[in-house]
Amino acid sequence: MYQDKTVKVVVCSGTACYVMGGSELLLLDDHIPSRWKGHVELEGSPCLGFCKNKTQGKAPFAVIDGEVLSEATIPGILKKIEEKLGET
Amino acid sequence: MHNTISLATATKPPQGLSPFDETTAPSAPHERPGPCLDELFIEVGYYQEKKHGQGAAGDVFLSKKTSDGHLISVLSDGLGSGIKAGVLATLTATMAMQFVAEDIPIQRAARIIMKTLPVCKERNISYATFTIVDIDGMNRVRIIEYDNPPYVLIRQSVECEPIKKMLLVHRRGVPKKSPPEPFTNARMYYSAFEALPGDRLIFFSDGIPQSGMGSAPFPLGWGNPAVHSYIQQEIAEKPDISARELAQHLVFRALLHDGYRAFDDITCGVIYFRKPRKLLVLSGPPIDSNRDRELADLFTRFPGKKIVCGGTTATIIGRELGRPVRVCLKDIDPEVPPASSMEGADLVTEGIITLGKVAELLEQGPRFDRFRANAALHLVEFLLDSDHIDFVVGTKINEAHQDPSMPVELEIRRNIVKRIASLLEERYLKKTTIRFI
Repeated sequence: MYQDKTVKVVVCSGTACYVMGGSELLLLDDHIPSRWKGHVELEGSPCLGFCKNKTQGKAPFAVIDGEVLSEATIPGILKKIEEKLGET
Repeated sequence: MHNTISLATATKPPQGLSPFDETTAPSAPHERPGPCLDELFIEVGYYQEKKHGQGAAGDVFLSKKTSDGHLISVLSDGLGSGIKAGVLATLTATMAMQFVAEDIPIQRAARIIMKTLPVCKERNISYATFTIVDIDGMNRVRIIEYDNPPYVLIRQSVECEPIKKMLLVHRRGVPKKSPPEPFTNARMYYSAFEALPGDRLIFFSDGIPQSGMGSAPFPLGWGNPAVHSYIQQEIAEKPDISARELAQHLVFRALLHDGYRAFDDITCGVIYFRKPRKLLVLSGPPIDSNRDRELADLFTRFPGKKIVCGGTTATIIGRELGRPVRVCLKDIDPEVPPASSMEGADLVTEGIITLGKVAELLEQGPRFDRFRANAALHLVEFLLDSDHIDFVVGTKINEAHQDPSMPVELEIRRNIVKRIASLLEERYLKKTTIRFI
């Protein structure tokens, strides 16, 4: 269905992101629909560094295939993955 | 005949031991040079289990380092259990600690305590027992014991039996006779020796030898000889076992004999004269990014275990050394951000939240949830398993943390590291240094 496509999701686990809701994002794996298994690669980052730059938006941050998502939430990330996999 | 210690099982007397009495011991340390002790650290570890069903422990263990370089440890067991025993034991242990810290000779201090302690009218025994250990800056050890199980001295994996002097103290309510009679008066035992690197001193409350009493394998309790051989076996199996671990193992073993419902308060203290284990904790980015390299160099050159606390700090070191930092997504804890791994680092954690949790755990005391696995608990384990801890704290302020929408728990790094260091020094008797970069 998605051929060899994989989407790489990097979630920040730095202090600012963690307290602003990033702790939830680290559990993303539990929310990934089974049809996407094997096509989403989840990785944590000690600190992506975006919180220090106000132009990037607010914490928590996630990077989906190189695209920065600020104020990330699980539904938000899932939507982005959907876009990247070309489901919509 | 060797006049300080007779060895129970050793074939030859150990070197470096010489007798000295409290009255003859020199007061100035330079008069009696000890063995090469510059690189010797005294680790004090203890563990305690309350009697099953009691809200308070009836045993008290206190340790303190005084400003003149003495290390004093006291174990007191109050008669009975629960809060009454706890109050009596606290009274005894605190008195002993204060007297010895104020330079009152240990024998006199013990006599004063004995005369102050109330005596149980029915059983004619004192309300609390004690073991007082006083170690001076030259590692000369003096011990006074009253009614606790005898302490164990392990030297080079062999149990030594120091010669003990019996001191009779007239007990209140007993007719005075001169000289006092051993069976109606209180008997204390005084012993002294010079500690050598590798020595271990183990002392415990009667909850350990009496554990399992009444059960089929131990009708009369575990018993002192069996306790001593268990200690020797533990050390033979793990020659560098820490004081903290040994105390824990002994208490757990006794608890096992009691079927995990302690019949009495179980307390064990261990003093280990060891080569210091060193730990470096790096936290926070340097004030000036030109000093990032310096931070990375500190990390690579340190001879000992290394921990990085802080996402940005880990990223800086990883970048300078060309090593990837990987977050471990296995043990996600709701309170503490996950740990990461990096080549050369024993642990990589997030910064402020983890350090805040570490301070909280250290304040709680030696009993914390051992069955959870989070970065803060790992960090506490590393801190308690080390003797000299160097903190290097970066002073750059993270602007993102100054956002008013952030929780107030995000303290200033410098303050929290200072709090951790003072807890480690005062409560866990560690040696710490803090450097700001």
